[in-house]
Amino acid sequence: MSPELAITLTILLPAAATLLLAVLDKRPNLREAVSLLTAGALFVIVLGLLQTVLDGAQPTAHWFDVLPGLSLAFEIEPLGMLFGVVAAGLWIVTALYSIGYMRGNNETNQTRFYICFAIAISAAMGIAFAANMFTLFIFYEVLTLSTYPLVAHKETDVARKGARTYLGILITTSIGFQLVAIVWTWVVAGTLDFEQGGILADKIDPTLLPFLLALYAFGIGKAALMPFHRWLPAAMVAPTPVSALLHAVAVVKAGVFTMLKVGVYIFGIDLLATTGAADWLMWVAAFSILAASIVAMTKDNLKARLAYSTISQLSYITLGMALATSLGVMGGAMHIAMHAMGKITLFMCAGAIYVATHKTEISDMDGLGRLMPFTYGAFFIGALSIIGLPPLGGAWSKWYLMLGAADAGQIIMMGVFMVSSLLNIAYLLPVVARGFFMGNTGPLAYSVGAAAVPSKGIQEAPLWCVVPPCLTAIGCLLLFFYAGDIYTLIEPVAFPEGTSQP
Amino acid sequence: MSSEMKTPETDPSKLPWLGRKLLWLDNTRNVGHIIYALLILCAGLVAADFMYHKHSYLDIEDIPGFYAAFGFLMCAALIVCARVLRVILKRDEDYYSPKDIASEAYPEEQLSRETIND
Amino acid sequence: MTDLFPPFLIFIAGALLLPLVPNGHPRALVAVIVPVISAYFIWMMPEGMHGQFTLVGQELTLLRVDKLSTIFGLVFSLAAFLALIYAWHVRDTIQQTMALLYAGAAIGAVFAGDLVSLFIFWEGTAIASVFLIWARRTEGAYWTGMRYLIVQVGSGVILLAGMVLQYNETGSMAFEAMTLGGPATWAIFIAFGVKCAFPLLHNWMPDAYPAATVTGTVILSAFTTKLAVYALARGFAGTEILIYIGATMAIFPVFYAVIENDLRRVLTYSLNQQLGFMVVGIGVGTELALNGTVAHAFASILYQALLFMSIGAVLFRTGTARASELGGLYKTMPLTMIFCLIGAASISSFPLFSGFVSKSLILSGSVHEGHYIVWGVLLFASAGAFIHSGIKVPFFAFFAQDSGMRPKEAPWNMLLAMGITAFLCIAIGVYPDPIYALLPYEVVYVPYTTTHVVTQLQLLFFSALAFTVLMRAGIYPTELKSVNLDFDWTYRKLGPALIKGVRSLISSVWGALIGAGLRGVNFGIAALERAHGADGLLARAWPTGSMVLWIAVLLGATLLLNYM
Repeated sequence: MSPELAITLTILLPAAATLLLAVLDKRPNLREAVSLLTAGALFVIVLGLLQTVLDGAQPTAHWFDVLPGLSLAFEIEPLGMLFGVVAAGLWIVTALYSIGYMRGNNETNQTRFYICFAIAISAAMGIAFAANMFTLFIFYEVLTLSTYPLVAHKETDVARKGARTYLGILITTSIGFQLVAIVWTWVVAGTLDFEQGGILADKIDPTLLPFLLALYAFGIGKAALMPFHRWLPAAMVAPTPVSALLHAVAVVKAGVFTMLKVGVYIFGIDLLATTGAADWLMWVAAFSILAASIVAMTKDNLKARLAYSTISQLSYITLGMALATSLGVMGGAMHIAMHAMGKITLFMCAGAIYVATHKTEISDMDGLGRLMPFTYGAFFIGALSIIGLPPLGGAWSKWYLMLGAADAGQIIMMGVFMVSSLLNIAYLLPVVARGFFMGNTGPLAYSVGAAAVPSKGIQEAPLWCVVPPCLTAIGCLLLFFYAGDIYTLIEPVAFPEGTSQP
Repeated sequence: MSSEMKTPETDPSKLPWLGRKLLWLDNTRNVGHIIYALLILCAGLVAADFMYHKHSYLDIEDIPGFYAAFGFLMCAALIVCARVLRVILKRDEDYYSPKDIASEAYPEEQLSRETIND
Repeated sequence: MTDLFPPFLIFIAGALLLPLVPNGHPRALVAVIVPVISAYFIWMMPEGMHGQFTLVGQELTLLRVDKLSTIFGLVFSLAAFLALIYAWHVRDTIQQTMALLYAGAAIGAVFAGDLVSLFIFWEGTAIASVFLIWARRTEGAYWTGMRYLIVQVGSGVILLAGMVLQYNETGSMAFEAMTLGGPATWAIFIAFGVKCAFPLLHNWMPDAYPAATVTGTVILSAFTTKLAVYALARGFAGTEILIYIGATMAIFPVFYAVIENDLRRVLTYSLNQQLGFMVVGIGVGTELALNGTVAHAFASILYQALLFMSIGAVLFRTGTARASELGGLYKTMPLTMIFCLIGAASISSFPLFSGFVSKSLILSGSVHEGHYIVWGVLLFASAGAFIHSGIKVPFFAFFAQDSGMRPKEAPWNMLLAMGITAFLCIAIGVYPDPIYALLPYEVVYVPYTTTHVVTQLQLLFFSALAFTVLMRAGIYPTELKSVNLDFDWTYRKLGPALIKGVRSLISSVWGALIGAGLRGVNFGIAALERAHGADGLLARAWPTGSMVLWIAVLLGATLLLNYM
């Protein structure tokens, strides 16, 4: 298969699958089979592309020109490859999980759910492989629109209200700021192509750079930079698989991925470093990291707490870019993968708890860990990875982000990462500790100092709600040992030829 | 010392063998003997200071009974200071509760409260 | 990946295997065998750097085998072995596995040859150990565990920051002797200091150790702090400031130990104090003093564990470790009492007990280098240790006024663990040569001289005399149900109160400003409305929205402090 065809397939395959899904509305088993097969096929294609990229190539695909010099085109560079692999790989896990969750919960409109899900993945692939800002913007908007029905899935007033906030903020910021920034870029640079080293150097008055960057940073609402973060907690009314894949991985990572792309390929790290245009963004991101963590501590609703945690963690990546150092970019890119794996685990566990007990508030969950040891074990591992503790993947991204901060001479930013780790403990681990050790889940089978095994025994959620988070928890562990491969993949971007490498 | 309060009646036969042998400590007079023994030992140790050649690094160590005086005075000072400090530092047991274990009972199911009467 | 089998992997394998073994004697047996295998492996390891491999671009050295790491590895295995016998009756899977992982992480850390692997195990000890506190399963233990964990991981992130700065400066992650200088070394130093319970960084210890389970406290007492002592000895031997830090550590907790009611907390303060002796030894940094530090760490792990075991057994049988509620237990728990006295004699450095042959190395080390005042301070600290751990703990638990409690003697496994530990305490005291042979430097020191024995006995017996006199005179503070304020008051009470004050100040000022602003806006809107009939919804919603955000932020800050 030629790389060009492969790229096109990654976008068209999930889109085409929607037709089959629609036809199989009344045959749920076949429908889920199609969904799983598509996910598997997509992942295989993406892995094939990954091999090509690792060999040093940058495959391209050109669809058509809209205007001279403005085309719908794709080119795979390492950052996009990383995002593509993460999104496609975790789709398989989520596809499995969706089966357990949607059936376990007896959700309605399951076919619509799977169709919108597939379109969202297709859009995510488009974003990952976009060759220019125009293409990226088109797929960015497709992603927003296709996830709207997913957020409103329950069709209750609350769901509709949440979905309106979701759509409102994302569309407003993208049209109001991002589109303006894109047009501005187009006018001054004459191109929107992503190029190593950026396209803006010497094209624009450096004093204007911070303003252009601000239009991008706030225009990319999916990165949930404060104060444009409200859409993310609002989206938590969606069924948990949506929160897990889209609002912990695909949608939000599309946001910070775009942020990295803009930083690296539109502005260029050198330009940002020499002009200091991103200095203010660093502080805004640092504020987002800490403020969102503090808000997360006040949330008793588990999914809301995880949503604020995501806002905080996304700003790690924005901050990594804003540091304008190679190591910061490396840390930010790595964090896309590490956070995705950790956070999807946490969301899937939250969903498994909901399916098994219909509990959403943390204060009601005391003692559940003894009934659901696998779910809680996975949650524990995911949480440790988010905190950034070894031997889990999150430790490496934090390491490179802190190295980036040290390299940029920003000691305070190192402090932000350190404090954030401690705040993460304060809001994530109570769930585990209270789940395993507190509360009374029926009479306990104690002997002298015995294990508090509930006499009712283990009562986990359905199998396909429990296996996927366990798999991703193992993934968090594996990422610690294979983070070097991500490093190798990103190396050409973070350390283009000529820059020194540690 | 322990016998000033009226101790609850205990059937000696239920005590472990070693416990029975130690029962003489319950008697006030025997406690007095122990204190006398301590006094004699103390006196003997100070006397010993005159009977051997001390290997010392500091001049102060050569004073006979230096360690004895140091131990006594320092401990007395420590106890008095601690007593004064407590006036300032003491709080009720539930001062930090419920976020502290000080006022909590140890969870009963993790104990094995057997007594000799069981 | 490595030419030698790293001992920590034995613990990890054991922890993974444990849940599969039937709970009860078989599982307890497997757990006890793990540290024995580990000790064998450590004993057989040849000196040198082993287990080197590359992980994500970092050159890691899992095994740096030399005399310093070997003796810590051995004593950690020994401590794990004894503690696991003591915990034979525990049927809680989480406690069983976490105890093994905790010991394994500590052993992994002492053999770590570079800062990255040290960091990995450093955080490992934090995570594994907190479960021994949470396993008490009470509200108080949950909060205490959270505080403990935040401090412990805090130590880890400070270490990480130090490593990052070090790497940025030098490009090296080697863990060798360092000189305090730039921010990198200071960060590493403070990270070690937190785990070593330096004064004012110590609060996590008296807070958390008495909150752990009966067996958990015994396990906790051995590893974390001694790992920090090892790390300081490796990284900062001969750093002068440590002498003064250590001297402060050796006296400051004494006062607390005298007035504290919870006997397990008394022992925690005394543990903190013993660490002070070791830190002084590191600060002096001569071969004699460093030998003293290592020997004292070895001896102190054993006698401290023995003391925690005996009070733990009392707690296990009576449900309390409060001095005010105990007393007169010698009749029914005579063996436990004797083991407690052996531990007490060891910590007090009675001749023929282990503390005598280890602590004197540090005292001689400091006096040889001319630190006379420090020597005097340590002498005072020795007498103080005798008062609170040598006399107070056994006296109020086993003698004093009869509490009327008639608990049975401790169960067999606890007696066995205490018996072996007590035997070792005496054996080391009587025949220290095998321990001396394991020390990092050659020992030219004779502990048993007439001068040393007589002066030490004078010190101890006259301290006992002072205790007796003051007790009889009614001056000795009676044991009362109470807690005593320590430095943690600042973050458990003062900090939250300040935040609360600032919050109410800000919100009232903010409220006033917003009120004024709203009136102005309303006025404007009214004016606009008269002209255009516009709606003021957006203007009203904005300030309230952001006010909510700000109050949420402040509320969150308070919440964080409430964890403290």
